[in-house]
Amino acid sequence: MNTLLQQAPSWGTTLWFIIAAVLLLAVVLGFVTYAIYFERKVIGWMQLRIGPNRVGPLGLLQTVADVAKLLLKEDVRPQHADKALFTLAPILAYAPAFAVLAVMPFSESIQFADLGIGLLYYIALSGITVLGVITAGWASNNKYSLIGGLRSAAQMISYEVPLVMSVVGIVLLTGSMNLEDIVKAQQDVWNIVPQFIGFAVFIIAAQAELNRTPFDLPEAESELVGGYHVEYSGFRFAMFMLAEYVYMFGMGALITILFLGGWLPIHPSLDFIPGIVWFILKFSLYVFLQFWIRATMPRLRVDQLMSFAWKVLLPVALFNILLTAVVVSYQNGMF
Amino acid sequence: MTGEFVAFFILSLLTIGGAVFMISFTRVVHMVISLGVTFISIAGLFVLLGAEFVGVAQILVYSGAISILMLFGIMLTKHDANDEGTGRTWKNRFILLFVIVLFGLLFWGVQNTPWPAPPPPADAPVDNAKEIGIEVFTKFVIPFELLSVLLLVALVGAIIMAKKEGDNE
Repeated sequence: MNTLLQQAPSWGTTLWFIIAAVLLLAVVLGFVTYAIYFERKVIGWMQLRIGPNRVGPLGLLQTVADVAKLLLKEDVRPQHADKALFTLAPILAYAPAFAVLAVMPFSESIQFADLGIGLLYYIALSGITVLGVITAGWASNNKYSLIGGLRSAAQMISYEVPLVMSVVGIVLLTGSMNLEDIVKAQQDVWNIVPQFIGFAVFIIAAQAELNRTPFDLPEAESELVGGYHVEYSGFRFAMFMLAEYVYMFGMGALITILFLGGWLPIHPSLDFIPGIVWFILKFSLYVFLQFWIRATMPRLRVDQLMSFAWKVLLPVALFNILLTAVVVSYQNGMF
Repeated sequence: MTGEFVAFFILSLLTIGGAVFMISFTRVVHMVISLGVTFISIAGLFVLLGAEFVGVAQILVYSGAISILMLFGIMLTKHDANDEGTGRTWKNRFILLFVIVLFGLLFWGVQNTPWPAPPPPADAPVDNAKEIGIEVFTKFVIPFELLSVLLLVALVGAIIMAKKEGDNE
């Protein structure tokens, strides 16, 4: 892929780019389809229900049917909505979600762009989605969606700070922001062990960034009707849902790379199993954790949400940076 | 035609277009969105120049800034508030004349300046973040520290002001 990126552009290389992007999109769509299926199934089992089991064998085609329904729906736009922004908002929310996947090293060989500052790229681009959410809330011209949009903007901006702070420890340990270097530095021990505080902060802040339980306030059905996407239906609504699940894909990949050793096997003697399998295993563990948490936790109250980010997570993350910096400089013989 | 040229053309078009629409739109939220387009395209231009770190920092800083600006725009204005432009034609004509003269001057200046030959591009891709870190902590360490003190003062000041207001309630 890297050699392809450095060639002079021609119709041939452009075609290759498009094919690669479409392939990744197909993988992501396949993941989203079955993530939703497993989410419903797992939560069903946890709540002593059966879950979807009607469409196709074991209900495997349930999500396909749901998506087909969404796509075939009439495209409704409220009369007093802002026409241009109402159309733009789902794109603003979805495009960065897909773009962040470009820097993920899924295994030694499967990676799209080997960026020196891959970690920062992910964090920066994921911030653009907030803009899409606010735009959606405002353009719908609806009180509830505006409240939902403002709420989620406040939440996502606040939780981005501890999220960024918690990975600084890893950057200090590795001495690089390149995701591939970070994986390679975990050859002996995965970052989850020396950076456990960072891991705890990261996983909580990631939960809030993804708008998932217990931080799913932006789409609190019981108090806000539905959140920033109340007025959206059909295809545009599907775009928002897709953005959310693609972020889950991205965040799962990022956690796997940063804390769980990426494509590295548990023990060096197990490296006959290809790296991508290890990656998928660790990644699935994170995705399962998501469903587990959703079936377990209630929703946080609005007034507790902000103080938790600023008064608990941020100091803990800062303490982690300090501790890591002291340990790293001790190892380098500073004192 | 290289890929760089195509990318530069698209990005500069978006940068200028976003800036122009920022001025000509009448609704606050529209203006903020077009401002966002400008900022993100400038980040793209940085990446094109090989300064990925600066480009990504640009997105990181300004996407948050734009979101906040948009929130203020939403909260401090009415939903369908329109900013009505002043329709004085003689003033507009005068401004047009001024702009044309300025453009002529600038264009003439750009065309007649002997530009030094651009430095040859580095062979190996440079580790941006590392280079910037070395520069900041050796050459520019005093401005850097001063800046951090300034930001700290601003942070503490903001907290004190917010606290005062909270006590009054």
